[in-house]
Amino acid sequence: MATSKLKTDRPTYASDFIASDVERAVFLGNPVLDNMMTSLIALGAEVWSNRRRMKVVEALLAEKGVTAEMIETYMPTTEQDAEWQKDRDRFIDLTYSPLLREGDLPVSAAFTRENR
Amino acid sequence: MLDRRSLFAATAAVGSFVGATFGSRKAKAATNTSVNMTPKGDVEPRGSKGRLERLPTLDSESIHDFVTGFRSWHSKGSRVVSQRVDKIMEENGLDPKGRYTREEVLPLIENDHIVGTSGRTWISNQQITWKNLQDHFHDNADAYIAEMEAADKAGPGTLELNPGLELPKYTKHEIHIQPGGYVGDEFAGHIYHYGTNSFYVGAIGDNEQDQIHIGTANRLPTPKDGKVMRILDMGCGTGQLTVALKERFPDAEVWGIDAGGPMVRYAHMRANDLGVDVNFAQRLVEDTKFEDGYFDIVVSYIINHELPQDISRKMIAEAHRLTRKGGYFYPIDFRSGGDTGRAYGQYRRWWDHRWNTEVWSHEYHTLDFDGEIEKAGFIINKETKPALPGFGARHAEKLA
Repeated sequence: MATSKLKTDRPTYASDFIASDVERAVFLGNPVLDNMMTSLIALGAEVWSNRRRMKVVEALLAEKGVTAEMIETYMPTTEQDAEWQKDRDRFIDLTYSPLLREGDLPVSAAFTRENR
Repeated sequence: MLDRRSLFAATAAVGSFVGATFGSRKAKAATNTSVNMTPKGDVEPRGSKGRLERLPTLDSESIHDFVTGFRSWHSKGSRVVSQRVDKIMEENGLDPKGRYTREEVLPLIENDHIVGTSGRTWISNQQITWKNLQDHFHDNADAYIAEMEAADKAGPGTLELNPGLELPKYTKHEIHIQPGGYVGDEFAGHIYHYGTNSFYVGAIGDNEQDQIHIGTANRLPTPKDGKVMRILDMGCGTGQLTVALKERFPDAEVWGIDAGGPMVRYAHMRANDLGVDVNFAQRLVEDTKFEDGYFDIVVSYIINHELPQDISRKMIAEAHRLTRKGGYFYPIDFRSGGDTGRAYGQYRRWWDHRWNTEVWSHEYHTLDFDGEIEKAGFIINKETKPALPGFGARHAEKLA
């Protein structure tokens, strides 16, 4: 049985639990590839986070002078939400569609004019 | 009907379902305007968006927005993977439209790089979803624990925690690979609530304003005699349906029970924030401690595929004991799918069970769930429309 990594003396009503073994999973034949994939997605999340923050900044700058609190508490409009989600989907498509590439030529594959 | 895979990797959103109803009496305005919900001790640095407290930092909100979008994108890509699996079946001289067991399918496709990439990216995104949430709540644990402590004894609703309750092993798994599962993390409720909201997008619609739970509550039938004095939500989780039931039936005494202490603790705090008077208790669905025939309506929301078959049977028997004559039991869950199907579907079901830690889903899919309900003494009303579109209707009446 596992226990929470949080250390506190206060009652939390959490119990022990049976930990999943998903951290050991290898889906791509080599854990390095699996790990790179996770890093790549995490990188995407960070990039998106920055881009989204910039959108907030730009939106605020367009209106008036900006404070940090104003940026942190900015509430997107319904229209902005829709527009940003559309841009998010384009960003995700650009970044991750290559993962579905079905490559099948080895490095030693012969070169012919028809390859071009 | 939607099956488990549809939430896991749906390819079609049910657009008309989005925003189907905000018809509740006390529903916070489902708009982009901030709502002033500030009970004592409330931790809500960025305010609320309708019923949902915003994630506490812009970055955590943006990362959550990303993983939600990635999940939708991944769902759309499942068509590519499905075609790939069909091709593999053909290459092995098998009919891609045939029905297979998971044991037949697995060796053929488990090492394919497209199938592997699909699984890897889905799992990685799921792990990042949980980590983003858990890290924030753990890093700010003192404030969030203090918030729950302030709410524990506050109203309008009540909370019963049972730290001495011996939790059966089946409750202790990290379902959906949620860290700590439903019982083992201090912030299981917080993490579950935000995390599962992302599950609905791209499958059956947005649920940030509890649209899906409110719609479900509003579509539930009333008993034939019209009497609704008491309602029980078995395995209530974060209480989204429990609250929606109280909003639908404001004069009823409404209870939500769950094995997870942190789950009902969060559910109680959130219900109080919303000003909804419901009762939450940490109890087991197979041993609820209520009197015989106490409830007019007993419901559950997508819990049975998280239970072993024997516990599902015990839960159904308990629901029959608790439902008064003329009342009904309405367990909402995926259809039971059997143990054969199209190759990709079988693979995904196995994969979801194995790697998304849907520990009991295979047992659920091989159980004659409707048959078990009828065996317990209920009569399933076949005329009732689904309370949750796509999940089928199991309006199990206890005859007067």
